[in-house]
Amino acid sequence: MATELSTTQGHTAHQHRRTWRTPMYTLTNYLFILPFLILFVTFVAGPIFYSFWISLHDWKILAREQPFIGLANYINLMRDGIWWIALRNSLYFAFLTSIINTIFALVVAMLVNAPIRGRDFFRFVFYAPVVLSVAAMGIIMSWMMNTQFGIINYFLVWLGLPPVRWLADPNLVIPSLSLATVWWGFGFPMVIYLAGLQGIPDHLYEAARIDGANTWQTIRHITIPLMMPSIFFVFVTQLIAHFQVFGQPYIMTGGGGPGRSSYTVIIYLYQTAWRYFLMGYGAAIAVALALVILFFTLIQFRIFGRRSVIEY
Amino acid sequence: MKRMRLWVVGMLIVALLIGACAPPPSQPPAVEAPAAEAPAAEEAAPTEPTPTATPIVAEAGAGATRLIYWNGLTGSDGVTMVEMVQKFTEENPDVSVRVEMMPWGTYFDKLLTSLVSGSPPDLFLLHEFEIPQFAGQGVLADMSDYYDDHGGPVPVSDIYPQVLKALELDGARYGVPLDIHGWGLWYNKDLFVEAGLDPETCPATAEEFVAAARKLTKDANGKRAGEEGFDPTQIEQWGTAVSWQKPTTLSTMWQFGGDWSDRAGNATLTSDAVKKAVQFWYDLIYVEHVAPPPAGFDTWQTMAAGRLGMLPEGSWFLNFANDNEINWGVCPFPKIGDEHVTWISSHVIYTPPTLAGEKLEAAKRLISFLTEQGALWATSGQPPARISQFESLTPDRYLSAIVLGTSFQEIGRYDFAHPCIQQVIDQGYMPEFDAIYNNLKTVEQGLADANARVQDILDRCR
Repeated sequence: MATELSTTQGHTAHQHRRTWRTPMYTLTNYLFILPFLILFVTFVAGPIFYSFWISLHDWKILAREQPFIGLANYINLMRDGIWWIALRNSLYFAFLTSIINTIFALVVAMLVNAPIRGRDFFRFVFYAPVVLSVAAMGIIMSWMMNTQFGIINYFLVWLGLPPVRWLADPNLVIPSLSLATVWWGFGFPMVIYLAGLQGIPDHLYEAARIDGANTWQTIRHITIPLMMPSIFFVFVTQLIAHFQVFGQPYIMTGGGGPGRSSYTVIIYLYQTAWRYFLMGYGAAIAVALALVILFFTLIQFRIFGRRSVIEY
Repeated sequence: MKRMRLWVVGMLIVALLIGACAPPPSQPPAVEAPAAEAPAAEEAAPTEPTPTATPIVAEAGAGATRLIYWNGLTGSDGVTMVEMVQKFTEENPDVSVRVEMMPWGTYFDKLLTSLVSGSPPDLFLLHEFEIPQFAGQGVLADMSDYYDDHGGPVPVSDIYPQVLKALELDGARYGVPLDIHGWGLWYNKDLFVEAGLDPETCPATAEEFVAAARKLTKDANGKRAGEEGFDPTQIEQWGTAVSWQKPTTLSTMWQFGGDWSDRAGNATLTSDAVKKAVQFWYDLIYVEHVAPPPAGFDTWQTMAAGRLGMLPEGSWFLNFANDNEINWGVCPFPKIGDEHVTWISSHVIYTPPTLAGEKLEAAKRLISFLTEQGALWATSGQPPARISQFESLTPDRYLSAIVLGTSFQEIGRYDFAHPCIQQVIDQGYMPEFDAIYNNLKTVEQGLADANARVQDILDRCR
């Protein structure tokens, strides 16, 4: 009986055992993945390993020789105060933006999933900023958030409120960048949530209503549990993306100001590698950031992965 | 589900359409109207201020020998540069020039990348202090043969000696200079009159400067700084500003006898002289309340709006001041410390060492022509590097270039050209100055951190 269990490939385990070692069978499989494998090795895996190799050298792109220095770049990085400032800022921005974006996009998705008048129009309007480039968004938002001449402060003053130093106050600068980023990017997770919401069967809500559940109870006990895979996906991808924030502070705060209040790891990496051409140190920054992202991603998998999948 | 799919497809189509209509990111914006046409626009609407737009990319001439010329002149001086190039192509119809202008920060990155990848522009503009950084990597050509002491067309005796000296490194002479630009003090004459100050007399010392700044600073109730009842939280008009922190701070620290390094590999930003200089500007912001914290404060627009009395700014401010109809006056950067010094720099034109043949010959002609157009270049406010050209300037047309140019020759000082100068500025002292002037760090702490960062860079840059 056990040998007749179906595998995901549609073969029986019995057939599988019989054929998987066959050279022709294996060759066919490899040929199927070969086009992707070539591109993946050339443009993803190869550069990743090459970056690590570069990080072990005092690699100056214009120099004739690149001396091997072992882990010296990593030791210097651990002693480098700017790295820790940049990492702290990147972590702050990434978590703040990802949390706000994950929650805000879910709320908006639930609103535009409801049968309201003009629903498609709102979906369009909320998604529209996603198509902007970071440069366009950055310039627009830096003008809107300008302390002296910005339209947001204009309205605040008009309402009798004091102007806010959005991008000029070191305590506000990252929340302001985060706010701008949420406005720019929440449309994408909203679409993912919409797809998830429309996959929840109506009969679950009908049953809940028959049982006397109110709106909050249906959200709490039906929508959120069934949306957990989408929420997890959105949060993980948002966190990975926002760890690598570059364009917003580069454009909106002149590369990380005031002082180094919005200086991020990727700005540091960019300047080190592409302005001063210290490729070895730049590669070490890149590898270290990748490890940090991997660490936080694994933590998320541990936390969210423990939840059992609800089947319906 | 079907509606959802339709909606997603619709959004995708809209996104693709928008993307298709926009130029690709790497492509420069469309060519704007030639600079020569800008005055006509002013004539058409004489009552409206008509800021002169700097074309990001400009084509000049239609000759078969085509040169690519990169620079970072995105300010209003870029318009004058394009005008000069157009004049060249009119006189040299066999040559066409594509002038590409980009902000200095982006420009350095792009230029280095192009030099490394072996596809550099045919001519490019840099500053004299960047010579060791670029020449040390072998991407600048020795241009001694452009000068008449090596058989070239540019007369050595007609260039200010300090400029020529700044171009020399290890026996080679890199580039041909256009100007000596630098740091001065611009002010609004209307605000001077309103504050009871003489609009024809500049504050020349620290005491005069602070006194004038107090009179020019006004709160929402019309009270001046220092008057009883003055509210520093409701300031509507500022006396002055730190402006670009690098030249303001360097000029002041040099005046007190300090510098960012001892030029022997040691950072010296914790010296008393540097502390005095930084403390002076810090006090103007947080003790005197006559200058704003720099973050989020747009000095040029505030000057244009008539809400800033005195602005430490470069000689390149002229076109902006005229375009915005500021009733401006200009004078040398005041003597705040013990010695009167101000920061200067020079725009220098270079060719890559790989340039050869027809293009090299055409580039030589263009460079020679541009250096002879110092008087035209001075209309943008930049004093020429050539002695004869500077002496030919007349006050009716070149007042700011004469006032500032004279001060640059008398009290100007070039920054120390270190091979890692850009890193020293970007990652060494500038973020720390910014932290101090925005009150994120004390003067002592900020300078100690700046010193440590600069020392680290100097140690690693060997």
